[in-house]
Order: sequence, then C-alpha cells, then structure tokens
Amino acid sequence: MIVRSLIAGAVIAGTVAAAALFAGSADAQDTRKLLESRESLYNNIYVYGQGPYVSLTFGYNRNIYTESIFNTLDDRDLPVEYTRCMTASLIYAKNVNSILEIGFGGGRTSFYLHRFLPQIPVTSVELDPTVVELSHKYFGIMDEPNFQVVNRDGRIFLNESKDRYDIILIDAYRGPFVPFHLLTKEFYTIVKNHLADGGVVAQNVEPSTMLFDSAVKTIHAVFPQLDFYVAAGNVVTIAYDGPPRTADDLDRTARQRDSAYNLRYSLHDMLAQRRQIQIDGGTVIDPHAKVLTDDFAPVEALKAIEAHNRKWQ
Amino acid sequence: MAVTTANRALTILIFFNAFVVGGVLMGFEMLGSRYLFPYFGGGIGTWASLISTVLCALAIGYFVGGAVVDRYHSSRLVAAAILLAAIYLALVPATADPVMAKILNSIGDGPAAILLAAAALLLVPLSLLGTFSPVAVGLLTRSAEESGGVAGLVYGISTVGNVAGTLVTTFTLIPTIGSRSITYLYAAALAVCAGLLFLPIGKKSP
Repeated sequence: MIVRSLIAGAVIAGTVAAAALFAGSADAQDTRKLLESRESLYNNIYVYGQGPYVSLTFGYNRNIYTESIFNTLDDRDLPVEYTRCMTASLIYAKNVNSILEIGFGGGRTSFYLHRFLPQIPVTSVELDPTVVELSHKYFGIMDEPNFQVVNRDGRIFLNESKDRYDIILIDAYRGPFVPFHLLTKEFYTIVKNHLADGGVVAQNVEPSTMLFDSAVKTIHAVFPQLDFYVAAGNVVTIAYDGPPRTADDLDRTARQRDSAYNLRYSLHDMLAQRRQIQIDGGTVIDPHAKVLTDDFAPVEALKAIEAHNRKWQ
Repeated sequence: MAVTTANRALTILIFFNAFVVGGVLMGFEMLGSRYLFPYFGGGIGTWASLISTVLCALAIGYFVGGAVVDRYHSSRLVAAAILLAAIYLALVPATADPVMAKILNSIGDGPAAILLAAAALLLVPLSLLGTFSPVAVGLLTRSAEESGGVAGLVYGISTVGNVAGTLVTTFTLIPTIGSRSITYLYAAALAVCAGLLFLPIGKKSP
C-alpha cells in the first residue's frame, strides 16, 4: 500500500522545499517531466522527475497525491519531512532487532532505515505490485540482505504472520484514502499482538480532517501511550504499551541511538517536534470523535469533514 | 397492463416488494465488503468475488423462481423465500467473524478462500431474494400480450431499488450506524416484506 505525503496544491506549498516542487494539480504549470505513467490494479501512477528528484504520485480526481520522493544523488536523503519523523520510533523501541513497514510506496523510509541499520532485518508490505516494481526502477530500491518487500495486503500479512517486531511503521494510503480495515481497533489489536516486548508503532496521519480525530482515538483505545510528531502537513503518532517514557529517558535514548547508528536525521533534534496532547476532553481532538471498529469505520465520510484551526500547543 | 380493482392491492404490494428486495440485495453486496475486507484485504480480488457471487446468486434465483412460479401460482412461496433470507441475514452479524476466521485459517486468502467467504455470506440469502422478480412477473401476468410490459415494470422497479440500496447503504447507513446494525435493519425490512406477502391480499384470485 501507499505512502502518503502531501495533499495537492496550495496546502503544502512552501512547507518542504523539495516536496513543493512536485505539489500541485495535474494541470498546473511546472517543469517536472513525466517519466512513466501506469494504470495498476489499484492506482493511476505517475512518476515525475525534476532535477535530481523523482516523485511517485497517484492521480485522483484531477489531483496528484505525492506518495514518495527520492533524491537520485543521495541515497540517504529523506526529502519529505514526515518520513523523517517516522524514524522517531527508534527513540521509543526497547530493542531494535526487527522493523516492519505497512505501506511501502517508493520505499524510501524503510530503505533509509536499512541503509543506516544494515544489520537489522527490515520487512515492508505493499499491496500494489506495480508500486513495488516502480520502486526498484526509479526509487533506488535494491534487493539486499536484510531488506524484504512483500506484495500483500497489510492486514492479511499480519493475520498470517507469527513474527513479532520491535518497530511497526504504518503508512498505508491509496491517494487520499486509508483502507478502512487498516484503521480500526481490531487492526491495531492485531498490530499490538505482533509487537515484541517494548515495541512501538509509528503511524502517519493526515491531520486536516475529522478522520484524524477518530484515528487518534482508535490508536489510543489500543495503546495507552501516544506521542505526536508534527511535520509539515502531516502528523506522525508514536504509540506504545506500558508506562509513559520520561523526557529524560527519551533524551538519553535519542543520544545513544544517534551515536550508535550515525543517522542522517538526528533523533535528538527530532524530539523538538514531539507533542503530547490530552486526547479525552482536550482541545485538539474532537470530543465527539468515535473509535473506529471493523463494524463502524466510515473513513470516507470522516475524511470529507474538514477540521479547522487545530491548535498544537 | 390491465389491472382490476381486486388485483390493484397485489400489484402495488409486489412493486413495493420489488423495490425493497432490490434495495436490500445490492445494499448487502456493499456491506459484504465490510465483512470481508478485515479478513481477505481490500484488493480487487475481494470485489471480484463479491460481484460474481451476487450475480451467481441472482442467476440461481432467476432459474429457480422462474421454474417454481409456473407450478405454484402463489405469493406464499416467495414470501417464504424472503422470510428465509431475512432469517439468514439476522444470523450473519453473530456468525460472520468465526466463519471468516475459520475460512482464513483453513484455506488461506487466495481466490478460492475469498470466493468461499463471499458465498458463505451472500449466496444463500441473495439466491432466495433472486427468486422474487420472476415470481412477481408470473403473478402479475394474465395474458401473453402483457408479459413484456409486466416484466419491464418489475425489473425496472427492482433495479431502481438496487440503485437506492447501493447509494443509501454507502452514503447514509455506513457513515451512521455499524455494519451489524445495518444487517439487522435489512433483515427487519425483509421480514416486513414477507409478512405483507403472507397477507390474504397476497393471494391471487383465480
């Protein structure tokens, strides 16, 4: 499935420099070059090149949704800001011995982790076989030891897998939409059952609609601890079980792992983007938002309700 | 179509049923996706299984309904079929999860498993509902000359019901109440339809 980064057009303009190059509706004036367009089983895929950057985009209603951006000159660059925040999960995991990603897209997030943690097995699950194919063709994804891409629905993969992971990254989008069965309490319960002791879940959520409020409540219904990383246009939630981590503890672990893995994007710097909010009875999350279940998950309807002026204190 | 006063009530009743049965039929197909996705994924294979199962069920319903109506010229049999479908739907919310999990664990998630799951969910109730249209045409047709007109009306109204069921389920019911509640709602609607057909006006005077 899909990595979602940016909403088309003005929403994102001026936020991430590289990303902004690619944002805009399909008919907007720009200098990007269409490298390939494919109609896959699930998406209308357009691969654009502009300067050293290649972007994977899906077309929906005349809009283009950028799923992934790759800097062809720099294998370890993460041009899209929220994808860096997905790596904040490294600060929280008790151990880092295995990583699972659901929603591969261009594959840059998981490949970044693979580049800096080559000794750790990284598994990515992607529904669309054409997306996997294009990630190898244009996005520098290579078959290497400890790096595996599985062509499967994310929930089916977990249903059938007996493995446990220290970190699970969830970024499954189809253009603007999240498949409902990957955003329910039952789904997160399955995810939780696949976490190793002290494991964490990072989820990319787009905060401009009421779907965000329900998604946060749903994750919180399964995981008692929830931290937020606010990144241009997106929010990454980090969810984990057990007692809350103290700021000192996170600070110390971030420094330790920065030096252990020699990461491009410092975990310690990332802590500045960390937010903790009151989920029940607070001002950020709508008090009427409902927990999504396999029985009741109107993701399309919630996506259509805009949430104005969400204030991140 | 010539309608006598005595048969006017029956005609209205059958058109009403054609609409409601059509609505539940397609509404339940949309709902089928909510039952199947958590177990078999949101892939194109799941939709293909749902759609082909619904069409299979309709084919079975049409064949059986057409064969039966010429032998037993009564609305009671089709009322019984709708009642059975209602009972089946009423059992779905409580049993769907164990059945889906059983299929997933024993056969996996390939095309055969998804088709089996779709069949377990849809084939029986929708085949029963599928008998309604040919039976309705049989009950309302009194002469060969009017058969085309009757068939056109019944299938037209039923198809308008299909459209309404699809849209209302997708845009109103799923965003408002859960899939299980919607299933009970359908079962109740079908039970009402069956009850009306069991009324004396449901009997066609010779």
